[in-house]
Amino acid sequence: MNTTISISWNGHEFNLLADRAVFWNEQKTIFIADPHFGKASSFQYCGIPVPEENTLEDCERLTLLIEKTGAENVIFLGDFFHARSGKTNEIRTILLNWRKKVQKTNLYLIRGNHDFNAGDPWPELKIKSFNDPTTLLGIECRHLPVKYSENPYLAGHIHPGFSFRGKGKSTIRSSCFVVNSKYIILPAFGSFTGLKNVKFGRGDQIFITNGDEIFEIPEIKS
Amino acid sequence: MTWDAYLQGKSGLVHAPTGTGKTYAVWVPPLLNWMDNYSSSFPHKAPPLKVLWLTPLRALVEDTKRSLCEIVDKLELPWTVEARTGDTSGNTKVKQRKKFPSALVTTPESLSLLLSYPDTIRSFSELEAVIVDEWHELLSSKRGTQTELGLARLRKWNPKLRIWGLSATLGNLEQAMKSLLGNENQGQLINGEIRKKFVVKTIIPKNMEKFPWAGHLGGRLVEQVAKAIEKKLTTLVFTNVRSQTEYWFDAILSIRPHWKEQVGIHHGSIDRKQRTLIEKRLKNGEIKAVVCTSSLDLGVDFSPVEQVIQIGGPKGVARLLQRAGRSGHQPGAISSILCVPTQAMELLEYAAARKSIVAKEIEAREPLKAPLDLLSQHLITLALGGGFKEEETLSEVKSTWSYRNLSLQEWKWTMEFIKKGGKTLGAYDQFKRVVLEDGLYQVQSRRIARFHRMSIGTITSDPSIIVKFQTGKKLGSVEESFISRIQIGSNFFFSGKLLTLIRVRELTAVVRLAKTGKGTIPVWGGGKSPLSSELAKSVRKEIEMFRLGKINEPEIKALEGILSLQQEWSYLPSYSELLIEKTITKDGNNWFLFPFAGRLAHEGLASLIAYRMSKLEPMTLSISFNDYGLNLTTNSKKDLTITEWQKLLTPDDLIEELLDCMNRSEMAKRQFRDVARVAGLIFQGYPGAQKSIKQVQASGGLFFDVFSKYDPENLLLVQARKEVLERQLEAKRLIEKLTEIKTQKIVLKSTRNLTPFSFPLWAESLRTQVTSESWSDRVQRMAKELEDKF
Repeated sequence: MNTTISISWNGHEFNLLADRAVFWNEQKTIFIADPHFGKASSFQYCGIPVPEENTLEDCERLTLLIEKTGAENVIFLGDFFHARSGKTNEIRTILLNWRKKVQKTNLYLIRGNHDFNAGDPWPELKIKSFNDPTTLLGIECRHLPVKYSENPYLAGHIHPGFSFRGKGKSTIRSSCFVVNSKYIILPAFGSFTGLKNVKFGRGDQIFITNGDEIFEIPEIKS
Repeated sequence: MTWDAYLQGKSGLVHAPTGTGKTYAVWVPPLLNWMDNYSSSFPHKAPPLKVLWLTPLRALVEDTKRSLCEIVDKLELPWTVEARTGDTSGNTKVKQRKKFPSALVTTPESLSLLLSYPDTIRSFSELEAVIVDEWHELLSSKRGTQTELGLARLRKWNPKLRIWGLSATLGNLEQAMKSLLGNENQGQLINGEIRKKFVVKTIIPKNMEKFPWAGHLGGRLVEQVAKAIEKKLTTLVFTNVRSQTEYWFDAILSIRPHWKEQVGIHHGSIDRKQRTLIEKRLKNGEIKAVVCTSSLDLGVDFSPVEQVIQIGGPKGVARLLQRAGRSGHQPGAISSILCVPTQAMELLEYAAARKSIVAKEIEAREPLKAPLDLLSQHLITLALGGGFKEEETLSEVKSTWSYRNLSLQEWKWTMEFIKKGGKTLGAYDQFKRVVLEDGLYQVQSRRIARFHRMSIGTITSDPSIIVKFQTGKKLGSVEESFISRIQIGSNFFFSGKLLTLIRVRELTAVVRLAKTGKGTIPVWGGGKSPLSSELAKSVRKEIEMFRLGKINEPEIKALEGILSLQQEWSYLPSYSELLIEKTITKDGNNWFLFPFAGRLAHEGLASLIAYRMSKLEPMTLSISFNDYGLNLTTNSKKDLTITEWQKLLTPDDLIEELLDCMNRSEMAKRQFRDVARVAGLIFQGYPGAQKSIKQVQASGGLFFDVFSKYDPENLLLVQARKEVLERQLEAKRLIEKLTEIKTQKIVLKSTRNLTPFSFPLWAESLRTQVTSESWSDRVQRMAKELEDKF
């Protein structure tokens, strides 16, 4: 079982985790993109009945990840909340309980497009919010990936997914990391989020994950 | 006859082939009834809403309105006739709701929408009759069920409401009438058939040796088709799928370039404006031929049509009749259809169809059984339209044919679902679509009301990519999966034109005309209907006749060489035999089975056998199927005896095992998309929708995953599985077939070469794999396949 792939990127050692996160051992830091907490609740607000269990489960996943890696910092690369209407009391309780479990961890957020609508996390959660982009621990952190950036960066926003066909009609579609010397684009961490198919750009490496295992996809030249 | 029955206050169903004046039969009686009230002169004021006219297609609404108006004008009556569809301007709609016309022509979705307004009951108080046009077209679809529920409400408001349906000839007319009038209600079935003569002719390829086995779309017969078009003034060329339409349009023009302005193309994905233009030119007799799909099966008469050509197998008797009926509208004229085979076996179908028409063996269309997605949509509609009482509404719903056997458990679940969103949402009070107040279930939130109204009527629409020129002129739409495979700068055929893809942005593909070169033809999903049981039976009878040496149809005579070769190299199965052929090719062991049960049932059967085989020993199988048989290819050397085959083909545990295959193949997940949309989970929004709306959109697959994980008992999941079983795999037909096979003799033949029967299956490019490998094994294997390719 391949749960981690180590890459060296602009002089840093990063671990790409099957759990849709990046771990930076040197700085004991986890990067997470697009959790979209409370997404199902905002659906419910509009009369669309979806069970809201993902937020709790995603929090538990994150707790485990912090414990497993011994991370001291978690940097959210945007879209912490899905929408203002999803910031219900239930979600607040879930997140506050989660915060108690990871009291010692420093939490940072780069505001994403959804955060502008939803507003910053509740102050009791003790999350420091920054505008996009901000350099944290010497790494440029972004929500929106950009074509040209002076510095190499980590970003989210896209919810990248990769789909490919094998013989016959069989296809596989999973979320993925897109890695380039200029950037790392993270898959969405939230489990109630969709995918957008990406293709290989020049110099890209693509790592797909189903949440349990991670693989590098050989580049297809067409 | 209809007139008398109507005037006596009865309801019923009129069935007759297309173009025999059914419209007049049901439109005149309400007018007569009204005129009866006045002895000498009529008032000048238009009467309030008397007649509601439902038609299955938006495109037909305007045409219908026009022909209804003609009669009103001729009789010089003060009646007003108006149309109301999704295209009607908001302004007009508001005006209509203030004062309805005497007759309103609309669609089932629009009726549903009207029911969501509390004042509709008042406006409908003088409604005397509902006419449902082309009922056969709606009958076995969710829109048919939507119509049933809507009619149940209208009947409740006015128990004396007359309901009249118009339908093509079907094998289950009694049932069709019941589903229209309600389960318990009596009605009159009226045969409006004028003895019309049908002639089925076939273009028989001259050179049978060179005849393309596996289809290749019968391109060799283009010249003969062009000659047939030349001989007549106006021809409709029907194909079975949209991609064939594109192919034939291009093929005809490439040998008759000077016809460019006189041949049109018409199918469901072409922009509405273009289609309307073609229809208009067709009606005016300005066009020589139109290549089309079932998009022209329906509709107001195209009188100038002199000839109908059918490309490919008809797949069903009713469909062939319907298409043939498009020609010969002049009184006393003969409806004739010229058939063009795209592969040899289709010749059998033509001969069989001809006999079935004579014997009146016409297919049935079954109404759907209690779809809960639609029920929850309808209940919210009622809650919006003034609220509903539980007990009363349950009996109203159960008065429909579709929901007559609705269980109390299903009802309770649906009520829970619209109240609280189902079991798992119980704890969240912000989710309240429907609330109980003063004994009435109502929608109080304006937000929910708005969302719900916007989502009614999205039963059929699939997200697709709009194809546009740079100037902004729309050409139509194609599926996203097709466009994603086309490289920027390369060519494809669409709307009868060779186009170059310039760019794709969001849901629009911008194209320009290509200068020269070749292009791919898009393939649209769905569409291909299977060979009907009735026709399949007839086909087997033809084979039986051949075995007995009775060759009297020209198509069978043409097939003599091929059928004899099949007999020589393998075997020609009789009615009570199942032929299984085994052939070793470079792909491995090929097993071919010929149950003649139609492509859907064959897909189900092939998946089932593959599943059962892979349980015996780990292996990877690929399957293919067509209307006559199925193929399983495996790299396993294992030989199978007749006894082993009997075990593989047993009907025992069929449903459980099919469900298991289905879960592996993600079929249920795909189907859930539709169910979720109707039940109001997927909100599609509209162009220019606010951002807040985009934030509550998620894909059907995502919903499916969330529900499977946190709410596996959700009845909408159950329904999606049921729909796959019933609609996609034709489980009922499969059970019947396997039960039949149990009594049949299995004839096992090892052949050295592929046979006339097996070749088309072997060449079938659509292959599905059945595998039990894990995610990681699959990824690794497929990644390796990719690497090997380059």
